[in-house]
Amino acid sequence: MRFQDAARDARTVVYAGIQADPLVARVATLLVLASPAERWMARAVMNGERTEAEFWRRMFPTLFDDGPAADAVSGDGNAAGDLAESLLAASLEVANRGEQARSQFRGAIVEELTAKLLARRGGTVRRERRVLFDGVPAEIHPYDVTVEPPSKPEVYDCKWGARGINADVLNQLDDAQSHAADEDIELTVALVVFDARRSAEIRLDRSRARRDRTGLVALEDLDELGTAAP
Amino acid sequence: MSQRAEAAARAALAYRALADLAETVEDEWQYVNDLADAYQASILELGALVAPLPVGAAAAVEEAIDEIGLITDPHKAIDWLSTFPHVVAIALGGSVDHGPEPAPSDDSDDDSPEPPAPDDDPPFRLLQFHPR
Repeated sequence: MRFQDAARDARTVVYAGIQADPLVARVATLLVLASPAERWMARAVMNGERTEAEFWRRMFPTLFDDGPAADAVSGDGNAAGDLAESLLAASLEVANRGEQARSQFRGAIVEELTAKLLARRGGTVRRERRVLFDGVPAEIHPYDVTVEPPSKPEVYDCKWGARGINADVLNQLDDAQSHAADEDIELTVALVVFDARRSAEIRLDRSRARRDRTGLVALEDLDELGTAAP
Repeated sequence: MSQRAEAAARAALAYRALADLAETVEDEWQYVNDLADAYQASILELGALVAPLPVGAAAAVEEAIDEIGLITDPHKAIDWLSTFPHVVAIALGGSVDHGPEPAPSDDSDDDSPEPPAPDDDPPFRLLQFHPR
């Protein structure tokens, strides 16, 4: 088994431009520090219709000046209200990019967030990588995020919403795990979903694809990505 | 009806309308209704909590209701079917992340095995396999 950079076609070149946009890194950096409630706020804003900050402050009063969460200290050592304001502003910038662009930004943000959380463990985190196995035709779609130590490598597919989970994704992840096992390699495969675990499990309950060897990291579990090696 | 129960009831009603819009995406009819069945009940349960309503909560729920009322694209409605219940839960306090508690069993001869201990090795929980 070995990893390889994905081939760069026209679509990936365009998407690479989105991934490299400083706004993606800014939102992801704030989301790393955010609480689950702040992450829900960001998801709502980036999915939302309205783009006035005051409206969103009224929808999440506990995160801003009036609420107890606003006085807490966030992961960056500043008042949580400051983080919420920064995250709101950045999320509105994404929302203001327009419908088509915001969809691409949201996907890139989940990938960047995943990479940043995994990087907390100290290893090298890679993006857009394929996994090749002896005697097995290569999958077309690369993995969004990978960690590639010789022992216990990890591959992650990232989704903005649980709706993005489908049989093709689940089969690719399970096949990769199975092929790695054939080579006596313990490959961790997982979905990262910037959505509720409950919604993802509802989605998965209707799928017939094999998934018992595939991990699920949902919005409320994201910090676990950075805390322990598998 | 308490202010909390009223806010939850209004949210549940708006949520049903959102689901009605979302289910016009034929390929996602099942998923939409699975989500709606699960979360609508959980939103209503938020109204039965005894905790006092947080400051600004009722207004926050109204803002959320107004927001989903603006949605006309059924695909965007699907995005909000998962988001809206959590926004309401943050406003009202409580959780929508669990289904109804199973009814307690009074069968003292129940010899069903203990559930397995959670695996503390991987950084995330493995999916449960639900055979169909």
